[in-house]
Amino acid sequence: MSERDQLKQFLAGRIWLRHLLPFSEEVVDEAIRQGDIHIAPGVTTKKTWHGTHYACQRCHNENQARFTVFTCAQCEAPCAYCRNCLNMGRVSCCSNLLTWTGTPPTFPTSHRMNWQGNLTPSQQKATSELLESTKQGISHLLYAVCGSGKTEMLFQPIHYVLQEGKRVCLAAPRVDVILELLPRLTTAFPNTKVEALYGGAEVEHFDAQLILATTHQLYRFHEAFDAVFVDEADAFPYTADETLQRAVRKAAKPNAPIHFVTATPSRQLLAMNKKQGHISVLARRYHGQPLPVPRSVALWNYEKQLKKKRIPAKLLRWTTECLAKKQPFLIFFHQIELMEIAEPLFQKLDERICAVHAEHEDRKERVQLLRQKAVPGLLTTTILERGITIPNVQVAVVGAEQTIFNKGALIQIGGRVGRSVPNTSGDFVLFHQGITYAMDEAKREIRKLNHTEVPQ
Amino acid sequence: MTCLLCDKPLHDQPTWQHFLGIQKDTSACPICMDKFERIDSVIQDDVLDSVHSIYAYNEAAREYLHQFKFMQDVALAQIFAPTLRTVLNDSKKIIVPIPMHPINKKKRTFSQVDALLEAAKIPYQSLLEKTTESVMGEKSRSERLAMTELFHVPADILYNEAVYVLVDDIYTTGTTLRHAAEALKQSGVHRVEAVTLFRPIREK
Repeated sequence: MSERDQLKQFLAGRIWLRHLLPFSEEVVDEAIRQGDIHIAPGVTTKKTWHGTHYACQRCHNENQARFTVFTCAQCEAPCAYCRNCLNMGRVSCCSNLLTWTGTPPTFPTSHRMNWQGNLTPSQQKATSELLESTKQGISHLLYAVCGSGKTEMLFQPIHYVLQEGKRVCLAAPRVDVILELLPRLTTAFPNTKVEALYGGAEVEHFDAQLILATTHQLYRFHEAFDAVFVDEADAFPYTADETLQRAVRKAAKPNAPIHFVTATPSRQLLAMNKKQGHISVLARRYHGQPLPVPRSVALWNYEKQLKKKRIPAKLLRWTTECLAKKQPFLIFFHQIELMEIAEPLFQKLDERICAVHAEHEDRKERVQLLRQKAVPGLLTTTILERGITIPNVQVAVVGAEQTIFNKGALIQIGGRVGRSVPNTSGDFVLFHQGITYAMDEAKREIRKLNHTEVPQ
Repeated sequence: MTCLLCDKPLHDQPTWQHFLGIQKDTSACPICMDKFERIDSVIQDDVLDSVHSIYAYNEAAREYLHQFKFMQDVALAQIFAPTLRTVLNDSKKIIVPIPMHPINKKKRTFSQVDALLEAAKIPYQSLLEKTTESVMGEKSRSERLAMTELFHVPADILYNEAVYVLVDDIYTTGTTLRHAAEALKQSGVHRVEAVTLFRPIREK
């Protein structure tokens, strides 16, 4: 392939800083001369009555606090740069962002789907609905409970888009999810070019047709995809960061459908899809057993007791029971500091118990140890609330009344319990000092889903 | 406001000093600031009359300089503004930043030492000019020591009696500062001191 074709394959659908393009100056200049590349300033400025309003053209950040103005030696003027997407290479007023405007590249239309798994009738119904929406180009919300086999339901719609010779993106807010999805998709589509993009990953295939990316990476795409699937659409930081939501919108072509997949859709997401899209509800897990309903247990002054180096009696009883029955357990805390106070206390019961939080680099290994029963249980923050499966795990939440445990988080945490056959149920306790609306709503929602009729 | 280094929100307690403008805004959270190890090492040299290095060049410092210089995050100059203000508060001394070569400066879009001083609102005089494009960080120790003249002084220096303070981001072998000091002394300056933000210390 000539370098020019490579440039086309690479830049089509992307929005890239000129000085970071992995191609020689001459090839880029030639393409610009032929009108195949559009050049735009990195940060645009708009004068308003109260000063200058900046907007980053890559990540669409308009939060003025995230811009820094300095005297630039390159453009010899006050120049603003965006700190929101800084780690992808600095975008400033005088930097050039390139997009491909020439003829779009073509993609193969024959793809093999190597997946013979069986879908349950309710899974089949949801996946057909999702496929139908994809064909019509309408956004779809797949509202499926934890442990219902969501990824498998995406295969048929993804296969359809690939067969059309179009580009697909499967995005998720967290790297862990992307890394978990990658091997499953490469085995499902063996002769499709698949690429995973996340912070620290190198761009390898210049012409991948199926792209797995963290939502952050979509800052670098511009009208690239004919369909975008957003997995775990309710996870942090996607819901909290407006620029990520804009990034997903901007990475899709203007009329391309954006599908959301989640177990705990926000009210906003539900309302949006009710108005201008379709919703499929999948209320039963793949093994057909109901979701575990949380039980609330009052645990007063747990913080004070833990600080006095004492495990509260009820929590102690619960833990020793798990240890005696040799059941793996997870105890969720709302705060890293409190968890670190509790860690040595639990280690007195069993010295193998340890804590995990976002800054632990070996958290994957620790979860693996729990799965292999080398560790009886883990103390954790909400980092383990989603994406992990441990057979026969028991779950407790300490301080369930804390604001960090909102309805979605509690449902996700409960979703860790009873995911695999034969242990389709388990204990899910909320230790609290006062019941919050979030706890009530989570319990109500789980009950409601359990009572929903499902096609057999 | 969020911390410039970790992006977590800053929990500043509102105080009267802050309201009256006596206390300045902090730009980094205490957890991030604690990672920088203050050493205040002062050494003497045959050319330089004193070299004051404020912080140890540890992991946090390495990350800081990487984000500041190579990711071009100019906003990070704010982080050490209060420290530099207290260290360089003698108005009788003349502050001279170590310059960059114009071509390199254009590539980076800013000069890191100038940015640090400007953030700290310290007046300075750019008396030196860099003569080579080569960068110290890419050289071995022996190559650095073998270098010939790196700086020259384009204009005449009027106040020979004043104390001149060179400012740089890091002190490693000292070649840069020694060359700069020599250039100043050849123009007739009597006393040249230096202040650097970081300096590597040997692990115990």
